[in-house]
Parts: sequence; structure tokens; C-alpha cells
Amino acid sequence: MSTTTTVNPDDTTIPFSDFPEDVQLCILSFLTPPQISSFACTSKRFSTLCRQDSKLWFSLCHRRWGSKTHIHKWGSGSITFKRLYNTLQDYQNLIGFWRLSKTQSQPRSPNSIPNNPPPLVLFEWGPFFISGSRVLPSGNGSYDVVKSPFLLMGISAKGEIVNYLQPNSEIRLDSEAVLMGSGLGNELVSVDVNHLGESHIIIEERVGFGGMRNSNVMNEDLIGVESGSPPNRVTSEIYQYFANRTSPVGERRQRRREKEKNGNKKWESEHFIKIVNHSPTSSRPLQGLWKGICEDAKLDFYLVAYDDIGGIACRKIGDSCKPFSSCAPVFWTSNTTFLESPFSSEEEHIYETREHLLPPGDIPSSQMESVSRMLYINSSYDLVLPGLAGPTSVNPHHVEGRIWEYGDGTIGFGFLRDNHIVDLKHIAVDGCLLDAVQPL
Amino acid sequence: MTSSKTIVLRSSDGATFEVDEAVALHSLMIKHRIETGGADSTTIDVPEVTGNTLSKVIEYCKKHVEAPNSDDLKSFDTDFVKVDQAVLCHLAKASYYMNIKGLLDLSSKTIADMFKGKTVEQIRETFHIKNDFTPEEEEELRKENSWNLFV
Repeated sequence: MSTTTTVNPDDTTIPFSDFPEDVQLCILSFLTPPQISSFACTSKRFSTLCRQDSKLWFSLCHRRWGSKTHIHKWGSGSITFKRLYNTLQDYQNLIGFWRLSKTQSQPRSPNSIPNNPPPLVLFEWGPFFISGSRVLPSGNGSYDVVKSPFLLMGISAKGEIVNYLQPNSEIRLDSEAVLMGSGLGNELVSVDVNHLGESHIIIEERVGFGGMRNSNVMNEDLIGVESGSPPNRVTSEIYQYFANRTSPVGERRQRRREKEKNGNKKWESEHFIKIVNHSPTSSRPLQGLWKGICEDAKLDFYLVAYDDIGGIACRKIGDSCKPFSSCAPVFWTSNTTFLESPFSSEEEHIYETREHLLPPGDIPSSQMESVSRMLYINSSYDLVLPGLAGPTSVNPHHVEGRIWEYGDGTIGFGFLRDNHIVDLKHIAVDGCLLDAVQPL
Repeated sequence: MTSSKTIVLRSSDGATFEVDEAVALHSLMIKHRIETGGADSTTIDVPEVTGNTLSKVIEYCKKHVEAPNSDDLKSFDTDFVKVDQAVLCHLAKASYYMNIKGLLDLSSKTIADMFKGKTVEQIRETFHIKNDFTPEEEEELRKENSWNLFV
């Protein structure tokens, strides 16, 4: 505590209460909730300030997410901003790319739609929801991709998490249509997005409510009515869905219900793993999500990852969810030191005699001058022992290959066993999908 | 080449500063005064801000108007707020009155950083907040707010 020394007004901070309230809120908007809690304990006046949801907690939400989403519109504008802050903080972790891990291996219910779900998914901020989209090759033979929304995650006016999923991967979830409530009655499935740690989510059908079959219910749930409307039949139906999760029933009826629940399931659970390192860095220039056209003229997605011991491995996205998938990567190497140009004439020959697998009309960079650096790679983890022939070793010529890095940071790879080059491009830059087109 | 117009800004303690109009317009408050003031608004009073603070504010505006895309803008901002706490507080208030959003955010964030790692009592001390709770009220409040940490 200060004694009776005269305080020079230029030496210390001014009392917090001397700041105009807008400045106080601006300062507080940079704090974390625990810091706000501490601040709220300092005096009666500030305790009251911290209770003001529309001022303080709105500022906190706006500071963190105002540029990404419409803070006012979440939960039909009926939920507290404090509640919204906690929800958005959870949702923030979802933003980005996730890959499908193996799907739930449980007996398929007779009603579920057979699916070969596309393996790459992108979560993005929507105006008042999070949208999950499948990312697919467009099928037009080029590098174009299609973004197909399938999941909408929002908050109801009552503060409950509400998620809608389109189970048929052929059909796009039209968020406009959902919000207008137009004719989507039976198609959409209500799901839960559950976390197993920060990098693993399970999307599971929410059973027990019979799904959200009433399109009016969906509409009111997400956007509701701007000015408060009196409770009506639809609102009380919504309340019943959420309030009465379990109702007291006799045992026999309960067993029948369970059977019905599982039998009525329209959608198999899906597990997703977050793709944490989805972009290259200066120290890891090959890292991230790539797309390239293979011998079958189809676009495929790849993930190149660096391990802890200085090696890199490339896998096709979606390989991990095929049954009995081989462990072989597309390519790997333990030596990530690049060879710089100029290159030996032998390497020039290897490069220049190859055919680039490109969409029709794309012009390949067939001169080795366009290559700035290169790496040696392998396509198999099996031991390659030079000079040792036999069933346990692999012919080095069969598995050895090259990565060629171009001036713009894209790469091409190929193996000595054939004369192709697969030219890879980035799937996204700064979180934005490249070459996204409307579906055919 | 047209000569750039200059504006004179006068602080609360009578100090005057001549600045390019473009620099002065970085303050939306001054912009509004000029636009509504008529042809003779070449001197603008800023009674909420002292000379020392106004000089710093002008320095900020100059840098952000004359070199908004320069690579060292970020390091300029970082160094700009390495000042005494009192100066920082006056900068925050001045940027609010003069409606300079960038400076308000910059100074507010720096003041917010002063909360890091502080207990309730330390916050009170730093920001001269008088504790007007009874011990019972304080205990109750502490319990109530500790839940926030887990929500």
C-alpha cells in the first residue's frame, strides 16, 4: 500500500475508473475469461460491469471473432454473449482441414444410406454457424475441386447446440434452404460432434428425438424470429425435444425403443482427424495438403508430413480408411536435404525424358531449368540393399524416385520405374481453397 | 504540385502543432470538425488532450499516414507503446477522444497486457481500484467467479 508520498500524476497509471466506459470495454475486450473473473472481484462497480453481457461479453466475442462471423446473429440473438464466447471458443478448434479416419464399424442399420464418404473435409466460419464441407475432385480432369457443404453447426435460441447433416454425400447441404425451411423435412439428420481430444472428432447421429423431421422446427431453431415471439406450438415442440431427453417408460417399451432407434439410424458415424500441418513453412517446404493427377487421369489428394527424425512421408488422403490398406506410402525419404541446381546431366536426362501428368491444355515445364531443387525419394519402406538380390530385398530401380521443386514452390514427383511426373499443387493457401468450382 | 494544406492543432495547455492535413485526418474527430467547420478551420482545439500526449499522437498518425505499408510498421507500433504507464493511459484516452481506432486498440491491448499473471489485489493496486466489498461479499464473489474458470 502506498504511504503519504505525493504521487506525481505523470508516474503511475490513472485509476481504471478514470477511463471512459468505452475505453474500459476496449481494454477488457483483450482479456481472457479468467482475467475477467479476477477483475470482477476488484470492486462492486466493476463486478456490475462484468455482469453486463451485452457490453462486456459482446466486446470479448467481437474482439476474437467479429471479423469472421456475425456475433449478433448466433442463437437467433437470444443467447447470452457469455454463452456464445464459450461455444465459439470450442468451435474455433474445428476450423480447418480434417481427414476421415476409419468409419464406425458397427452393423449397418437397414435404413442407412450406403456411403463412400469423401475423405477430406473443411470446416469454416459461416455468418452464424460453422459449416462443414466435403472437398472433392471436380471430376473434370483438371486440378479443380468442389466444395460440398454437408454439415451445419449452430446454436438454438435456447442455447442448445444444434447440428444438421446431409447424410447423402451426393447432395449438397444448402444452408440458405435450411434456414428458409424449404422442403427439407426428412432428409437432414441431427448429429452430435463429439471430441476425443483436440484433434479427433466423431460425428454421430443423435438418436432419441426421431430426427428433425419438421422443417419449421429447423427454421425456428437456427434463426428464430428477430423480435420476440410468443410461445407457440412449434416452440413448445422444440422445447420438448431438448427438455425431455429420456422419458419414463416401461422396460418392454424401452427395449422396443432402443431397437427402433438403432434401426432408424440413417447415417453411420464418422471419425475425423485434424490435419494440423496443412501448409508449408520455410523450414518444411513440402509439408501440407497437395493435389495431383495420377496415371488414371483422376485428381487425388495427398498429405506430406514431416516426422520427428528429419524425414518426410506422403500418403494419399483416404488411404487410412480403406480396409486392409497397405502401409506403403506414396513416397518417403529420411534425407530432406535438397540438391540445388545446376544438376548433373544424368539427372537432367531423368527429368526431361518424362511425361507430365497434367490436365489437357496445361503446359508442362519440361526443361530442367524450371526445377530449383530436388530430393531423392523411395516408394516403399522395405529395405533396399544395393547389390543384394533376392526375395527379401527390393530392386532399387523399382522404388527409387525424385521430387523436383519448382520456382513457385509447387513440386512434382516420379519414380525410376516409369517415365511420369505427377505435378502437385496446393489444395489451399491461408485456409482458402484453390481452384474451387461449382459442381457439374 | 499542389502545396499540402496544414492544420494547427491546439492542446489543452495551449501548445500548438502544425501538421499536414492528411495526417490530421487520421483522427476521425478532426476529420469531422474540418468537414463541418467551414473554410476557416485551420486551427482546431483539442481540449481533452495535453501537449505532451498530443505530440505523441501526431507522431503515431504521421507514421501511419505516410508509410502505412512499410515493413517496420509493426516494430514501430511495438516500440511506440514502450512508454511509462501514465503516458500509455493518456494515449488511450486521447485516441478515444480523437477517434483513432488503431491507436486505441494498440494502447488498450498494451494496458490489457498489464493484467497478465496478476491477482485480484495486484490488479487493484496497479489500477488504483478501491475495494468496497465486505470480507463476506468478497468471499461470495470469489466463489461465484471461480466457476467462470471452468465454464
